[in-house]
Amino acid sequence: MPTTFFGWVGFLAGKYGPLFLRGTGTTLAVALSGTVLGFLLGLLVAIGRTIPLGPRAKWWKRVPVKILNGVLGVYIEVFRGTPMIVQAMVIYYGALQYLGLDMPRFVAAIFIVSINTGAYMAEIVRGGIISIDRGQTEAARSIGMTHWQTMTSVVLPQAIRNIMPSIGNEFVVNIKDSSVLNVISVTELYFQAKSATGTYYKYFEVFFIVALIYLALTFTVTRLLRFIERKMDGPENYTIHGSQSDSRAAIPVRKED
Amino acid sequence: MKRLIPLLLALALVMGVASAEVLRVGMECNYAPFNWTQTEPSDEALPIEGGGYADGYDVRIAKKIADQLGYDIEIVKTEWDGLIMSLVSGKIDAIIAGMSPTDERKLTIDFSDPYYESDLVIVVRKDSAYAAATSLEDFSGAKITAQLNTFHYTVIDQIPGVQLQTAMDTFPTMIVALSAGAIDGYVSERPGAESAVATNPNLTYVSFADGSGFEADPADTTIAVGVAKGSELTAKINEALAAISEDERVEIMAAALAAQPSAE
Repeated sequence: MPTTFFGWVGFLAGKYGPLFLRGTGTTLAVALSGTVLGFLLGLLVAIGRTIPLGPRAKWWKRVPVKILNGVLGVYIEVFRGTPMIVQAMVIYYGALQYLGLDMPRFVAAIFIVSINTGAYMAEIVRGGIISIDRGQTEAARSIGMTHWQTMTSVVLPQAIRNIMPSIGNEFVVNIKDSSVLNVISVTELYFQAKSATGTYYKYFEVFFIVALIYLALTFTVTRLLRFIERKMDGPENYTIHGSQSDSRAAIPVRKED
Repeated sequence: MKRLIPLLLALALVMGVASAEVLRVGMECNYAPFNWTQTEPSDEALPIEGGGYADGYDVRIAKKIADQLGYDIEIVKTEWDGLIMSLVSGKIDAIIAGMSPTDERKLTIDFSDPYYESDLVIVVRKDSAYAAATSLEDFSGAKITAQLNTFHYTVIDQIPGVQLQTAMDTFPTMIVALSAGAIDGYVSERPGAESAVATNPNLTYVSFADGSGFEADPADTTIAVGVAKGSELTAKINEALAAISEDERVEIMAAALAAQPSAE
């Protein structure tokens, strides 16, 4: 048996390394798919929530839009306003007990993280949408684009770039918060760590290792997202082809120092 | 996503159909020596779905029960807070996780007969005068504590003239406090004390002969199998447990203590 702190750290890392790695894989899989699906869900919800109603909109358009708005509002409030650990228990165990629906735990885990993230993402995306100048929406509508076209071709490409830092936040939060899923028997990283502590009664040593793994995960993810952001920004130097007076014009744009 | 949900649910339904001849047993797999997770397979250990192998007193008892019932066994590693919900909703068939049959838990689930009875001991430093104690009276004047929100703490008053200390959150904190000399001892159940002593060679524990130790409610000191309310498994499990003699239980616990990873 080791005698020093780092002796124990090395011993436990060697002994439980494979389990920690497997837990890391589960954590990453749940966080990644939960964030991506949650983002798509959030996009749809935000698009639904920003359908404009002109003052002359007919009742048959006004009523469904209001209902949709209400339903989506309730969804956001409920899933943002209750802890994920509660949602996990209610959805996973409640579905079986009251609806007879027996979900495999991994599917349930991704479903829960997605639907929880979706509620946050909906508000983040809505923030992104309203950050784009109204003039652009008006211009798009005036050339005959529908709400969907305006969103997908004009507003969202800019809005998504603007909310990338917030999406990164959500991803990082999901990597850490997926640890509550151990109440539905998902053996992610934190649960594997608790197993090691419960076997050897060595808490600080185990959590030192696990903290390092979490840090490595979140650090890598934030770097990756920054890389994607830069890609979305496009090259710093570019050329505009064609001008109002000459279709063959080529105007080079250089980065300002 | 919206179209995906019914698809996922349908998939869940197809994959989740449980077969009848398997006893699904819930435990934390992080409560040595009752149940723990290890990385290598062994003769006694059972595989866990999320990775690793489960072994311990609970696992060995669970195997004996399943053998008696003629069932296959599956270990479902679940966090402590999720165990009772798992059982009530039918994700597992039994909780064999070092769980005491308290009155509060009995409101929600049924329990089998006890399959383990623990006694309370006091963990002390090897070099202290209390290491030689044999009765509660010997601890008069000692600074004693126990884990927060457990019956371990409430029984300390039974020591005459004790200097009761503030309850502490976890066993590792108490071990640190004890090693540092901030307290003279803490109350623990015997298996937990054995585990603590195994990894902390400067500690030992004092046990008491019948009648000279702590008195506690059997609902706290015994451990039983949790089953769903009104389940027909209860009678079958009791029958299986009755076939395991007291001596055999002591042997199984000794073997589990010797096999736990920290005992190497």
